[in-house]
Amino acid sequence: MRRALLVALFAAVPAAFAFNDAEIRAIASHGPWPPAFRPDPSNRVSGNRDAIDLGERLFFERRLSAGGAVSCSRCHVPERNWTDGEVRARGLALVDRNAPSVANVRLGHWFGWDGAHDSLWSQAIRPILDPREMGASASQVARFVRVDADYTCRYRKAFGAPPSPSDEAVLVDVAKALAAFQETLASGRTPFDEYRDALVKGDAKGIARYPETAKRGLAIFIGRGSCNVCHIGPAFTNGEFHDTGVPFFIEPGRVDPGRYEGIRKLLASRFNLLGPYNDDATRGTATGTRHVALEHRNFGEFKTPSLRNLALTAPYMHNGRLATLRAVVDHYSTLSPDRLHSDGEAILKPLRLSEAESRDLVAFLASLSDGGSAYRRKAFAADCR
Amino acid sequence: MMRWLVGAALVAHLAAAPAAPACDLPGGSAQKLQSGAHTVLFRTAPLKVGEHFAVDFAVCPPPESVRVDAWMPEHRHGMNYRPEVRALGGGRYRAEGLMLHMGGNWELVFEVRSGGKTERLTHRMQLE
Repeated sequence: MRRALLVALFAAVPAAFAFNDAEIRAIASHGPWPPAFRPDPSNRVSGNRDAIDLGERLFFERRLSAGGAVSCSRCHVPERNWTDGEVRARGLALVDRNAPSVANVRLGHWFGWDGAHDSLWSQAIRPILDPREMGASASQVARFVRVDADYTCRYRKAFGAPPSPSDEAVLVDVAKALAAFQETLASGRTPFDEYRDALVKGDAKGIARYPETAKRGLAIFIGRGSCNVCHIGPAFTNGEFHDTGVPFFIEPGRVDPGRYEGIRKLLASRFNLLGPYNDDATRGTATGTRHVALEHRNFGEFKTPSLRNLALTAPYMHNGRLATLRAVVDHYSTLSPDRLHSDGEAILKPLRLSEAESRDLVAFLASLSDGGSAYRRKAFAADCR
Repeated sequence: MMRWLVGAALVAHLAAAPAAPACDLPGGSAQKLQSGAHTVLFRTAPLKVGEHFAVDFAVCPPPESVRVDAWMPEHRHGMNYRPEVRALGGGRYRAEGLMLHMGGNWELVFEVRSGGKTERLTHRMQLE
């Protein structure tokens, strides 16, 4: 009788999910986390403690904007995991795209949804000068750094020299300090990381702690969903550009050309890594810029976002048009091949997930998030000596 | 007797003719592709998705020109980068600036042009 009861009980409990060796290798490739810090050779103050301090102050500094109205933290809010929760970002005016989180931003090789920048520091220049974001100028930024005694002192400590007479050179150095600070912004370990490490070590207890629903979602992610074709590696992104059928009309009659315009801007910019401000004398950091190809298919492509802290950074896609993780899963589950742009990814097919499978995939995606930003704002004192 | 002499003369002629230079790529083991008119020997560092890499290769006999590219047949697109090929002399070359930005099946393609004809030599590979 007891045996019959046990058999009945086991029959009612679904078998624990198990992955084969190839699947375990695929899962292991999404770690370990966090990755080691590697300084950016194109930025001579990357990893420099004084530059990080200067950059942190500048990140929250409204005087870098026209009229002292906004700072970088207007759209990259620490308490919102370095994004703003809005559909489209608003600086001095509404912009065309969603504000991406700057957590883990150092791991990319192109910056911005369209990759118009090839370094984190050149990316930092764009919002300062964009009239819709911070609306400042090189001369305004340089004057501010030269006149404010505390900032002048911190600039000298970070760069080993007083601000240059060249407004543009000071603007670039301000951007390099901003980049040094942003390189320190990393998301924490997640339930997925604990599971991934347990799987690699063969730790049965650790494996058992990860929810079965997330395991089933992970199986879809690396299996029939093929999500890991683009969302690769520890940061869950290949850092490149794809057209996944997200409409690129900003409003009737106005389109966002995405990567196509991004490449044109990149190659026209004097702040790119082929230009005079790259601190890497070997120009080894400029390989991507030297060889990037502009093609018609780049029209409407946007950068593959990292999935780290995804649950904390809604809304989604380059234009923020999807409000929830479930809406993102539904997008890939129901997308119509007829609506894909002619140059869209040819492998994209509707996943046609069941209700239960959609919930599983959402559970997996949610497990890629930590408990929220550990960053605490500081009260900055003007006490540089 | 006469037939034997002709045969001996032919052997002598072949022995005196310069041997076709062996197609080689110094510096380690290489993979080989063969077409009707050309042999390509090539070598890369281990490939990883999302990392730039170079291809060292030799083409025998040396062609008028050669291009290198990579293509994902199932996806119907190539790379996001345009490699540059540098001739190193003696039929040896180095292609720089390649990057395979997605996992899956790729074809590494050598387009070799000689005598007004272009041949495509293709190496298939799978990236995890």
